[in-house]
Amino acid sequence: MGAFEYRQAQEIRDSFARAGIRYLFIGKSGAILLGFPDTTQDADLFVEKSPANCRALGRALIELGFALTPEQTAEIERGKDFIQLKNGPFDLDLVFAPDGIERFEEAWQRRVEVEGFPVCHPDDIIASKAATNRAKDRESLPRLRAFREYWAGKQRDLTAGRRAP
Amino acid sequence: MANVAATPTEADRASPETGPVPLDWLEEFEAAARRPLATRFRYAFIRTYKPVLDDEPFRAFDTTADYRRWCEQHLPDWLGYGRV
Repeated sequence: MGAFEYRQAQEIRDSFARAGIRYLFIGKSGAILLGFPDTTQDADLFVEKSPANCRALGRALIELGFALTPEQTAEIERGKDFIQLKNGPFDLDLVFAPDGIERFEEAWQRRVEVEGFPVCHPDDIIASKAATNRAKDRESLPRLRAFREYWAGKQRDLTAGRRAP
Repeated sequence: MANVAATPTEADRASPETGPVPLDWLEEFEAAARRPLATRFRYAFIRTYKPVLDDEPFRAFDTTADYRRWCEQHLPDWLGYGRV
């Protein structure tokens, strides 16, 4: 299995959009979509934990090439809090209850769209990493917080540019 | 919602707690912003073998706290998945 590719991210985006799946890129993969220059190994998706969403998710993952057994599909449909997939064309973590974020709907309202990819707001990505409190997250947080300031400044510039006559 | 180790501060949710962005980071952010998304992907996503973690094709955990606990009990410390 190779590294996660842009083409594969597009396949997720397009397949999930067709299926009406509500999800957000989160973690470092989300930050990278926002422009954060760093490296990571897999994609993390924060998925809304509802029966219909989880059923559609199981079907979409099989379409994308994940070799899910009926039992594994049932686990996705039942709505576990965390699922790690390494049986497909790329590694994927499905996170249904990330640390530091209370409800999917709130994160969804704050989301950022990048080329059609729904991405958690940088504040949510940082809140999640801060709450997780792992060694590897602690290391990346200062740079991620600096990136948030840079990104927020860019957004303000864009807004001001749109307002200018 | 699982929130087992630390509570994010308000600064993590809304207001800046950082000082000025260091110049070398700023240059990296600006350089990344100039690259198309597909190029950023090529630079960002890498693949290396992670012991234990990569040895099963599928894992499911009832709660995020279960997953964090499993990581601490089964993964080598140097992977960095243990809570501080």
